[in-house]
Amino acid sequence: MSDLEAYRARAAAWLESMAPIYGRSARQGLSEADDLALGRRYQRAKFDAGYAGINWPTDLGGQGLGHIEKIAFDAEEMKHGFPNFYFGISLGMPVPVLMQFGTDRDFVKERVLKALKGEEIWCQLFSEPSGGSDLAALRTRAEVDGNGWKINGQKVWTSWAHYSDYGVIVVRTDPAVPKHKGLTYFWVDMKAPGVTVRPIKLAGGDSHVNEVFFDDVKIGDDQRMSPVGGGFAVAIATLMIERYVATDSAGFGPHLGHFIRLAKETHRDGRPAIEDGRIRAQIARNYAMRSGLDSINHRARLMMQAGMMPGPEGSLNKLVAVRSRQKLSELALDLQGSDGFAFDAHASQKEDWASSWINAPTGRIAGGSDETLLNTIAEKILGLPQDHRPDKGIPFNQIPA
Amino acid sequence: MTILYDEGQQAIATETRRALEARVSMEELLPLLENSGEYHEPFWTLAKEQGWTALTLPEAHGGLALGLIELGLVAHQAGRTMSGAPFLTSGFGAAKAIALYGSDAQKARWLPGLASGETIGAIAFAGGPDILPSRPDATFADGRLGGLSRGVTGGLKADVAIVLAADAAGTPALLLADLAPVRRTAVASFDNSRCIADLHFETTAAETLLIGTEARDAALHILALQAVVTAHEQTGGAEMLMEIARDYAVTRKAFGQPIGAFQSVKHRIAELYGLVELARANCIHAAAREGQADFLKAAAAARLSASEAYDTAARDCIQIHGGIGVTWDIGLHLHMRRARSLAIEQGSGLFWEDVLVDQLAEETA
Repeated sequence: MSDLEAYRARAAAWLESMAPIYGRSARQGLSEADDLALGRRYQRAKFDAGYAGINWPTDLGGQGLGHIEKIAFDAEEMKHGFPNFYFGISLGMPVPVLMQFGTDRDFVKERVLKALKGEEIWCQLFSEPSGGSDLAALRTRAEVDGNGWKINGQKVWTSWAHYSDYGVIVVRTDPAVPKHKGLTYFWVDMKAPGVTVRPIKLAGGDSHVNEVFFDDVKIGDDQRMSPVGGGFAVAIATLMIERYVATDSAGFGPHLGHFIRLAKETHRDGRPAIEDGRIRAQIARNYAMRSGLDSINHRARLMMQAGMMPGPEGSLNKLVAVRSRQKLSELALDLQGSDGFAFDAHASQKEDWASSWINAPTGRIAGGSDETLLNTIAEKILGLPQDHRPDKGIPFNQIPA
Repeated sequence: MTILYDEGQQAIATETRRALEARVSMEELLPLLENSGEYHEPFWTLAKEQGWTALTLPEAHGGLALGLIELGLVAHQAGRTMSGAPFLTSGFGAAKAIALYGSDAQKARWLPGLASGETIGAIAFAGGPDILPSRPDATFADGRLGGLSRGVTGGLKADVAIVLAADAAGTPALLLADLAPVRRTAVASFDNSRCIADLHFETTAAETLLIGTEARDAALHILALQAVVTAHEQTGGAEMLMEIARDYAVTRKAFGQPIGAFQSVKHRIAELYGLVELARANCIHAAAREGQADFLKAAAAARLSASEAYDTAARDCIQIHGGIGVTWDIGLHLHMRRARSLAIEQGSGLFWEDVLVDQLAEETA
């Protein structure tokens, strides 16, 4: 057994032992507040057991291991339905970027430790009503105010802002230069006067995303994490941090085995649906697609183990997997006919077809829409030209609204 | 699980590509389309010279004792330039059947020639819609084959064939037949260099390899082995078309900009990238699973994704070219034709979907 396999086996055993306390069954029927409290205890248990900050430096409370151990752990963790998603964004992007760019190292260390223990949560204040895919079109502004800055404007789609203690934010500090050049990166205290968080209820009934309003929110210049006007580069660095994450070829929906079981159990006019050619074709096509992604991801892990950079094909994961999950979920509901009407808004997207279906559009938009991902593949991998961009090179305040 | 190619394997890919690009050109392949029964001699000569015919065969019979991974790498490159003859895959299938199920005498008689490429092999399981029917059209009694094998790829030029036939009771038999005395009629096809023929068995002598369900299982295994090779070839073709589409989209201008700047075009090409990479990943995985319990599933997945990639790439690459794309001389129709002939050989998508779902349904409690 290789070191990595041994690590994975140890992690799997530990997670197995935690499942009855924090896993899927322990969470059933909990209110969100209780679930979050359970999540904080689970995060603390991970910290105590040495499974928090797996690939982070030891002097900041991490374990000093590699991406590959982190991915191995995450893949095992995914199986048990732990309440870990409250910390997914926090530990995924804002806190690592704080570690990288935060200037007051004592402050950084204190925040990182509290985040790793589940005591504090960070959010990422990027998207705005006027700019999601086009991040640099953002309008929230920071103006010089004494020795510090004053923020006014609005962010949107901010995951877990309503539970967050801190956030990282990109704002416009100079509207008189082209859009990418007038941005600056800060951290903010989410409890500061003038910060208002309003949850947004999503199509499936869930509300983990928010609108965040800033009204004359005063911050110090020591909260700045980029040069003035150099915020876009740090924003891109933030988005690059978790490039190689544990992925799921089921697109974070139900495993194909669930569909095959459903097709075997469902009878139409006395015939099991698994004998229906239309169903068979979809099973076969989905299997081929998912096994392709599994193979891509396995190869990426082998390359990381060998000290190589994985190929760019890993960028296909979300694009391909979520889109097909959406269609397969529709078909699963078709298959059940009127039995498919029954709906539980709190059912797991990984186990329930209706929940998977209604939340699938979010998956195709959040974290890079299908169209943005296709553009990235076309431009960065294949060398195709950028889209026509009429606002290129024009000072931000002269771009027609 | 999948693998990373080692240095030797990467060298095979590089060297194969260099050799093929020097010796095979679209200009030489185009005229073959209008001549039934001809193949591209320089391609086959190259295959023999380079030892591609010997790659997977045992050393004792003149082979190089490598595996599906190496042959897959060659097939991928052959798919890029388009192979000028089908014999690499058809001969591989025949040789594998003899190596796996033949007697020592049969191996000694046929494998050295198949390894050198002097002997051409073919697989004649069935014709028409069923690649593996429960009751094949060809018949077998008293050591003699009768009936017809329809649409056998490479059948026009093959010296030896592995045939699936039924005896009087309907029991399938896997047979080895010397094709020297067998009458063939060429099928005038949309992809003529495949040398497709109907084989007319008229009391043709044949030797038994296996009988009964074992014969059918063995036939499926041979198809799966060939399907993995073909999937690599399809992926190579799809990759080439994606590159051709990309190159055209960055140079051809319309409305004052390269057409690749229009999302309807650039997204189409990005989607091709996805199909090619999924097919490639499935191919690498399948080639590495030869001999394992899940090989059939891996082969089916590779086959399905590679057929989808090549067909879609052919469709979209021509579409992106506009009018020039449908001309004879630009040759994109060569890929379109090849995408279809490769999709049908060794069983179409319908067959492999069934094979795959049967496996999946069986293992799902």
